Amino acid sequence: MIGLGLRLAISGREAVIRLVVLTAAVGLGTGLLLIAVSGINAVNSQNDRYAWFLTGNPGVPSGFANPPVKSREGITPETSGSTAAGPLWWLLRDDIFDGQVIYRVDVAVTGPSSPVPPGIPRDPGPGQYYASPALAALLETAPASELGDRYPGPLAGTIGDAALPSPDSLVIIVGDTPAQLAQAPGAVRATSISATPPSGCSGDSCVLGLGIDAKGLDLVLPVVALAMLVPVLVFIATATRLSAARREQRFAAMRLTGAVPRQISVIAAVESTVAAVGGMAAGFGIFFALRGPLAAIPFTGQPFFPGDLSLRLPDILIVAIGVPAAAAVAARLALHRVRISPLGVTRRVTPEPPGAWRVLPLLAGLAELGFWVLRGVPKAVPGQVQALLPGFALVMAGLVVAGPWLTMAGARIMAARTGRAPTLIAARRLADNPRAAFRAVSGLVLALFITTVAAAIISTQDAKDGITQVGGATASNILVDLNQGGFSRGAGYEVHPALGSAPSATLLAQLRGIHGVGAVLVLYADPGLTVPGAGKINGHQERDQAGLVSCAQLAKIPALGRCPTGATVAAVSVNIGDTDLATATWPAAHVSARRLEGLDALGVFAATDGSTRPVEQARTLLETAYPSASGATTFAEASIHSSWRDVMYRQLADVVILVSLPIAGCTLAASIAAGLADRKRPFSMMRLAGAPLGGLRRVVALESAVPLLAVAAVAIGTGFGVSAMYATMQLAHPLVAPDAAYYLLTAAGIAVSLGIIAATFPLLRRITGPEVARNE
Amino acid sequence: MSAGGQAVVAGEAAAIIEARGVVKSFGQTPALRGATLSAAQGEILAVMGPSGSGKSTLLHCLAGILVPDEGEVWFAGSRLDTRSEAERSVLRRDRFGFVFQSGQLVPELTAEENVALPLLWSGTRRGPALAEARAWFGRLGLDGLERRRSGELSGGQAQRVALARGLVARPDVIFADEPTGSLDSVSGEHVMSLLTDAAREEGTTVILVTHEARVAAYAARRVIVRDGTVTALDAVAP
Repeated sequence: MIGLGLRLAISGREAVIRLVVLTAAVGLGTGLLLIAVSGINAVNSQNDRYAWFLTGNPGVPSGFANPPVKSREGITPETSGSTAAGPLWWLLRDDIFDGQVIYRVDVAVTGPSSPVPPGIPRDPGPGQYYASPALAALLETAPASELGDRYPGPLAGTIGDAALPSPDSLVIIVGDTPAQLAQAPGAVRATSISATPPSGCSGDSCVLGLGIDAKGLDLVLPVVALAMLVPVLVFIATATRLSAARREQRFAAMRLTGAVPRQISVIAAVESTVAAVGGMAAGFGIFFALRGPLAAIPFTGQPFFPGDLSLRLPDILIVAIGVPAAAAVAARLALHRVRISPLGVTRRVTPEPPGAWRVLPLLAGLAELGFWVLRGVPKAVPGQVQALLPGFALVMAGLVVAGPWLTMAGARIMAARTGRAPTLIAARRLADNPRAAFRAVSGLVLALFITTVAAAIISTQDAKDGITQVGGATASNILVDLNQGGFSRGAGYEVHPALGSAPSATLLAQLRGIHGVGAVLVLYADPGLTVPGAGKINGHQERDQAGLVSCAQLAKIPALGRCPTGATVAAVSVNIGDTDLATATWPAAHVSARRLEGLDALGVFAATDGSTRPVEQARTLLETAYPSASGATTFAEASIHSSWRDVMYRQLADVVILVSLPIAGCTLAASIAAGLADRKRPFSMMRLAGAPLGGLRRVVALESAVPLLAVAAVAIGTGFGVSAMYATMQLAHPLVAPDAAYYLLTAAGIAVSLGIIAATFPLLRRITGPEVARNE
Repeated sequence: MSAGGQAVVAGEAAAIIEARGVVKSFGQTPALRGATLSAAQGEILAVMGPSGSGKSTLLHCLAGILVPDEGEVWFAGSRLDTRSEAERSVLRRDRFGFVFQSGQLVPELTAEENVALPLLWSGTRRGPALAEARAWFGRLGLDGLERRRSGELSGGQAQRVALARGLVARPDVIFADEPTGSLDSVSGEHVMSLLTDAAREEGTTVILVTHEARVAAYAARRVIVRDGTVTALDAVAP
C-alpha cells in the first residue's frame, strides 16, 4: 500500500504538480521555521559573546577557581566577583565615533598570572592596543584627529571573532600601566575573565548596557519566539491542506474501485509524508542558502556572525522528524473531517458557528487590566507580575479565541449590508467558515499585538525618561564631557565629584579653533558656597552635574539656558535628559569670574554645527585631555545610549513585524490557492456565465484581505489599548505613540502581504478559464 | 460540412445567433470541422449527438466561451468571435443565460442570492435584484426555498434554481448543456417543461445540448452533431 501511495504521489501531471506545490509550500514554511529558530539561537549566542565584557562585575555570579583555564573559544569558564586583589586591572568604558559605539577595555597587567581576554594572544602592554577588525579598518580610514588620537599606538593586532558580539563590533583593548588604571574611576582588579553572559546576570547590579540580562532574555525571547513561530506553523499547516478537496475526490474514486478506509488513510499519509520530506529537505536548503544574507540583517541592532545563526541538534531533529510526522498526522486528521465513500466526499460534520462566549477571555483580560488601572498596581515587583501577567496572557489568548467569532460577526454584517456580488460572496464564505478564515491570520494577530505593545510601551518609557533630549538640532550639536562615573556598578552609580582641574587655556583654544565649533562652556564644580543644596535649582532637580557657569560663555550657547540680567556667574543643573534647558533662567551665583576659573571642572560643553568632523575632533580632544572621564557624548548620543536596550527591543519588534506579516501573506496565499482549487467549478461557472474576472478577483481579494486587515486593526487596537492601561498604571505616564518606523514597517508589512495575495490572481485566471470549466 | 442547407439554419426567420463554418481543435484533436448552425429569436433548438461529437464545443463557440480557429459566430447581427474576452464576458452576462448539468450554484450563497447573482454582477442594487430573483421562485415551483443553500436542495430543486438564474436577467439566448443530465426522468421532465415554458413566455431562444431524445423532444427543431459537423435531424412543431 505504501508503494502504491508513492506511485500515486508521482503518477500523472496533476499529481506531480500537486506534489511540487505542496513540497514548495512546506519547504518555504520549514525554511522560515528554521530561520526563526536559528534567529532565536543567534540572539542567545550573540548575547553570550558579551560575557567577557562583564569581567569584574559584582552582579555576575562567581565561583570558579583561579588560575583561569581557557575554554575552546578562549574564554575562561570563570568569573570574578572579587575586585580585591586580582592580577589584572580592568576598566570597561564606551566611546562613540560617528554615532557608533566603541567598547573600550583598558587593562593593566600586574604579573604573569594576569588573565587574557578572549580573541587576543596576550594582554597588550602599556601603550599598545588590540582593535576589532571593524575598528582597525575605521582607524585606518578616519583622520587621527577625529579618532586615532584617542588611543595610544601602536596596534598590536586585531581581536578575534571569539571576543566580538558581531562582525561589525567596534572593540578596543588598550594596555595601560597599573598606576594609570589605579587612578581611573571605575577600574577594578580581576582574577579572571568572565564567561558568564549577561543572561546569567540578574538584579540591579547588572545594568551594564551590554547584552540582555536574565530577566530580559526570559521575557523577550519567548515572546519573540511566540510571535514568529506561530505564524510559521500556521503557514505550514495551511500549506499541507493545499488541494485537499481534489485529493479527497480522488480517494472517493479509489473507494469506488474497492479500497477500504484504512488503505485510503495509508495512501493519504504516504502522499503527505512524501511532500513533507521533500519540503523539509528543501527547507534546510533554503535555510543554508539564506543564512549568510540573513546574518547581515541587524535583528538586534547589529549583524550576527553567520555561524551564530545555527541549529542545535534538538532543533534539527525536531524539524526533520516533526514536519513529516506532523504532515502525516495532519493528513489523517483531515480525513476524519470528511466521509469518503465510493459515491463521493461529504463533510462529516457541518461546522457549528463559533459562539459569542469566545469573546469572554478577551473581555476578561481587558477587565482584569482595567481593574488594576483603577485600583493601582501593587508596589512590589512580584505583586505587579502576578497582577499584570494574567491580564496580558488572557488578552493574548483571548485574541486568538475570539478571532473566529469576530470574523464571523464582521462577515455577517458585511454580507447584510453589501449590494455587490463580490462582497456578498466573500462575506458569505467568511461567515460560513470563520475558523478557516481566521486560522490563516491567527499567527499575525499575536505578532502584531506583541509588537504594538512593545513599540508603544518603549516609546512611553522613553518619553517618561525624558530622553527626547534637548530640543531640535541642539541635541546632536552640543558635545558634553561630563564625568558620570562610567558604568554603574554595585548598587548604583559611582559618582565622582569633578572632572578634574579646569580645562587649560590651550585646550579651550584648541576646541574653539575647530572649524564647526561655535562656543565652549565650562561647568565648574560648585564648592557649596552658592547653592545651598535645597534639592532643586530653578525647578530642576539638583543632580550630579549641578555647578557654576560663566554667564559670558552661557550666552553663546542659549540652548543651555540663560543668566539673569546683570549676573556674571550662574548656578545650573544640567542633566542629560532635561528637555527644556533652553527656557531656563538660572539663578545668579555670588562667585566672581576670577574665582570661578580657579574651581575644578565638572564638565565641558562644546557647541558644534552637528556635523561629524567637529564633533569627533572635539570629542577626541576632550577624551585625550581627560582620559579617565567617561567619554564625551552629544545629548542625542547619550539619550540613545541610555536607552540601548529599548532600541534593541524595538529592533526585535520591527523584525517580528517584518517577518510575521509576509508569512501571514504567504499563509493567505496558500489558503487562497487551496480555496480556489476547492471552488474551481463554481468559480469557472461564474466566469463562464459572464462574471467579470475583475469581480472574481475582488472576491478572492476580499476573502483574504478583509481578515488580514481586520485582524491587523483588532490586534493593533487592542495592543494600543493594553499599552495605554500599562502606561497608566505602571509608568504613570500617558501613552506615547510609537515612532514613525513602527507605522512604516507595519504598513510595509501589510503592503507586502497584500502583494503576496495579489500574486495569486494569475492563478485565478488560469484555473477558472472557460477551457478549464469545460473539462471539469 | 453541414448537410441539409436550410435545415441547420433558422430558415426564413432572422437568425439571432449563428455559427458559420466553425472549425475548432484542441491540440491535435479536431472537435468541430466546419459546423454551421443558426437559431431564430424565440426558437428552441436541440443539438444532439453522441459523446465526443463536438456538440458542447459548438455550444461554447456560439456562447463566446471558446473562440473558433476558423469560421464565424454572429449574434444579433454582429460578429461575436472577434470580440475581446472582456466584451464576450459582458455579452454572456447581459444577453445570455446558462444552465449546465451540475455544480453551478455558489455554495456559500442562498438560493435567492444565487438567482440574483447575474443581476448583481450587472450592477443592479441588492434589493431590486433579490426581488426580481424571488419572483422566479413562484414561477418555477420553488416557493419556500429562497433562503436555502445549494447543499440543502435536491438535485431537481438545485437545477430549477440554476434555471431561474439563467432566466432572471431575461437573456436573449439560453444555453443549456445537458440540463437534465444529473436528474431522474421525472425531475428532468419537470425542469425541461419549466425551461421551455419560460422561454416561450419570455421569447427567449434556447440552444439545448443533449444526447437524450426525450429531452430533445421539447425543442422545436433538432440537429445532430457528428464528427464535428452539423446535420439537420428534423423539425418538430412547437
